[in-house]
Amino acid sequence: MPFMSAYPTVRVSLLFLAIAIGCAFFADLSITAANPWKDLGNFFLGLVTPDFFSYQGLATALLRTVAFAFVGVALGSVFGFLLALAFKWTAVRVFCSVIRSVHELFWALIFLQFFGFHPLTGVLAIAIPYCGIFAKVYSEILDEVDPEPSRALPRGTGVVSSYLYARIPQCWEQIKTYTAYRLECGLRSSAVLGFVGLPTLGFYLESSFAQGLYSEAGAMLILFYLLIATIPLWLRRQTLPFYLAAAPFCLGDGFPIVWGNVSRFFTEDIIPAPLRQGDGWAGLADWFADIAVTEALPGIWNTLLLTQMALVLTGLITLLVFPLISRQFGNRPTRVGGHVFLVILRSTPEYMLAYILLQIWGPSMLPAVVALALHNGGIIGHLVGRQSSSIGLRPDAARGLSRYGFEIVPRVYRSFLALLFYRWEIIMRETAILGILGIHTLGFFVDSAIQNIQFDRALILIGVTALLNIGIDKLSRFIRGRLALQTLPTC
Amino acid sequence: MSVIELSNLSASFGGRRVLGPLSLTVADGERVALVGRSGAGKSTLLKLAWQQCGSDIALVPQDLGLVPALPVFHNVYMGRLNQRSSWYNALSLVRPFKKDRAEVCEVLQALAISDKQWVPLASLSGGQRQRVAIGRAIYQGASALIADEPVSALDGPMANRVMELLSERFRSALIALHDVDLALRYCNRIVGISDGVIALDEPSNRLSTADILPLY
Amino acid sequence: MLQLMVRRALLALALAFSSVSASMADTFVFTAIPDEDETKLIERFQGVADYLAEQLGVDVRYVPVKSYAAAVTAFRNNQVQLAWFGGLSGVQARRLVPGSEALAQGQEDEAFETYFIAHSSTGLEEAETLSDDVRNRTFTFGSKGSTSGRLMPEFYLRERFDAAPEEVFSRVGFSGNHTRTLRLVEAGTFEVGALNFQVWEKELADGTIDTDSVKIIWRTPTYPDYQWTVRGDVDERFGEGFKERVQQALLELDDPELLASFPRTRFIPASNDDYEPIRAVAEQIGVLD
Repeated sequence: MPFMSAYPTVRVSLLFLAIAIGCAFFADLSITAANPWKDLGNFFLGLVTPDFFSYQGLATALLRTVAFAFVGVALGSVFGFLLALAFKWTAVRVFCSVIRSVHELFWALIFLQFFGFHPLTGVLAIAIPYCGIFAKVYSEILDEVDPEPSRALPRGTGVVSSYLYARIPQCWEQIKTYTAYRLECGLRSSAVLGFVGLPTLGFYLESSFAQGLYSEAGAMLILFYLLIATIPLWLRRQTLPFYLAAAPFCLGDGFPIVWGNVSRFFTEDIIPAPLRQGDGWAGLADWFADIAVTEALPGIWNTLLLTQMALVLTGLITLLVFPLISRQFGNRPTRVGGHVFLVILRSTPEYMLAYILLQIWGPSMLPAVVALALHNGGIIGHLVGRQSSSIGLRPDAARGLSRYGFEIVPRVYRSFLALLFYRWEIIMRETAILGILGIHTLGFFVDSAIQNIQFDRALILIGVTALLNIGIDKLSRFIRGRLALQTLPTC
Repeated sequence: MSVIELSNLSASFGGRRVLGPLSLTVADGERVALVGRSGAGKSTLLKLAWQQCGSDIALVPQDLGLVPALPVFHNVYMGRLNQRSSWYNALSLVRPFKKDRAEVCEVLQALAISDKQWVPLASLSGGQRQRVAIGRAIYQGASALIADEPVSALDGPMANRVMELLSERFRSALIALHDVDLALRYCNRIVGISDGVIALDEPSNRLSTADILPLY
Repeated sequence: MLQLMVRRALLALALAFSSVSASMADTFVFTAIPDEDETKLIERFQGVADYLAEQLGVDVRYVPVKSYAAAVTAFRNNQVQLAWFGGLSGVQARRLVPGSEALAQGQEDEAFETYFIAHSSTGLEEAETLSDDVRNRTFTFGSKGSTSGRLMPEFYLRERFDAAPEEVFSRVGFSGNHTRTLRLVEAGTFEVGALNFQVWEKELADGTIDTDSVKIIWRTPTYPDYQWTVRGDVDERFGEGFKERVQQALLELDDPELLASFPRTRFIPASNDDYEPIRAVAEQIGVLD
């Protein structure tokens, strides 16, 4: 296509496609299960024959899931907001990018080591990374506010009053919309925390899946979808204060915090073993070299392979699914079906989806790639589909495939790319975490270190993961800048 | 004693000088009308004046500086944010105090929009918004005013009524006006700006409409 | 408005946390490594909790955890005081909690074994030594922290092939627990696996193994495994002689149904030194520093 390659966006897309195909040669993508389709069939059978009464703790698990999400997101948004006000300081920006580059599950694994099964573990695991994300997005929203009203204020107006009257009201709607969106993400995060032992939905979902009780698992998934799909019905301005006040009481009784464990964690556990054992700096160098060669480098390599493949497959899935909900294609019933399908895709946390597919297809990178692509493709497909609906076409515009290829895709392609690059870092963060499920990305080595009670190693590897995420974030920003792609922060 | 004192002021935009050098002093009790063609540098001059003057002064910028998401009351109340504690202001945002409600209502009555006190700003017409911005300036209770075309969207009788009100409430003022009659009637000094410099500076009782028109 | 809500929420948060801490103080809590299906574990250990509560006269609670490390960490953090550990997790836990002691083990745990099993499609048969034909097949351990599902099989694999498992097999997985290892090999997801022989024998007796698709190909030599381990400071917290009473209660446990759920014939006394061989192997493989 000599003509199309004149566009930088097309060139970048082809480059990424080539990289992903290259990655596929190095990656292990086989299906190892003997009867993968039979198992998949059983799973869907479970979904259509849900068993809502097998486990009486289900209601409690749902309550905990909601409570952890509420408290975590509320704390995250309050502190995120305060940090957003100070976002002009480099130190604050760096701090925020560090805390948000560490995934919720890693935070949970860290806090589990010293808070144990105390509710604070789950609350902080959500609140901390969310705080970093909120700070960034809130500050972006605040920056776009019309500055004139604050200039017209009388001299000597305090900073707080000035923000309260002249800035925040202008972007309040946007802040609200974004916070509500993050609450939905918080519900997903909260559910997934169950996989490492917190008393949320994931805890029971993991048990049911591990035992092949698909009807039980199906019931939990259906309830979770309902919970998310009905957010607009039960989350109202009037009821919000009630939820916020009640949520902390619904976190469940964990175990008391033993503060000695906290100081032990910071003064002993995370001190590199050679220093603790008095092997000195030479020992430390060997120790670092060992981690780098046996864990960090293979982990980074696999994380990058998986991320690049998942990113491109996400793009392809987006382009496939967005017409399902676009007004430019199909009719009302097909669009309703499309919406339901996309809601299911984006409500299923990639971690859960990967777990399900791993159980069914056996361990390789394939389930992870597919899970990441389906979830993220669902999210971006929803946004692109919505945007494509608002395009006004001339009455005699082509229909069907020609309309798709000539009228719609060229018009949404830039924002599609912008959204895809925006999610690059998110995909990488998830890729790393999927290692806990047994794929050899960085999370696998973090999990191994924690299983061996070597928190010093775990922390080094989490740090490596964070740096990789920050690097990808910078690269994505650079590419978006070069291609002049703009995104709304609310995606 | 002077309220505004600008000396050797100049401003450039994109390497091109748009204002100055000029000096201008507004004494206490003086109400100065800035007249001149649009693009002559009046708005720039007012902006710089606002940046350099003290705290006892109110501002009505050309784009009004209102917050569309808040109701009329709060937009007016903002005139006194600097006189109250942050807590008081925060509470007023949720539930305004009775005393403030009465005071704001009085200002709005004078501007003939007291029925709009709780209406979201977004639903007001251009002229009504302009009066809200003026209300904010009046409510501030400062002795001096800087205003950029404050009555441009008001019809004749309303413009007169508002200008009258402004002269009652502010001892001193620096107001950009394109309506020459209003300038002569409600200001006691006329300063004409042309190509960024002062082309005319006379007490208004020595001038007639015809003297000013060449500036346009 | 926002600020007010936040203050309210923070206050409530503080209240909720403080009320929790008081109620849990005097409960004797124990956990177990999640080496089998969770439903089975909860059934089994709820029975143990009821039995211990009756014998000891204190509130006893069992908490399920999601990983071997979580069991060790909860024990280390004094959020549980007693645990049913595997050989390796017990060694890890006792190293981390000075003063803690192995109290009792099952009679079978003195001489525990790992079975290597294979899917029938491999054509592998049981032999005296592990067949060379397992090379380049897919293989799954149990949990990363398991003794019979990971540590000992890895030790014998290294001994047999003088290479790391990743070099012997085309793919190495960690199924998570023994039941799942069995299911995955049975289903052919992995061709070969290694698991706790007691889990195999119990599932076989229950008739839940499809013996046409999966069979044993090698049995390891014996080694010490599971044991009950208690923290050293329980006497301070629950009264003088509490540790002995816990040990006594475990040794006297004779409810056949409860014992069958483990499955163990009975519990016998154990000591920290019994697990010295496990520690040596773990250090050799690099699982312990």
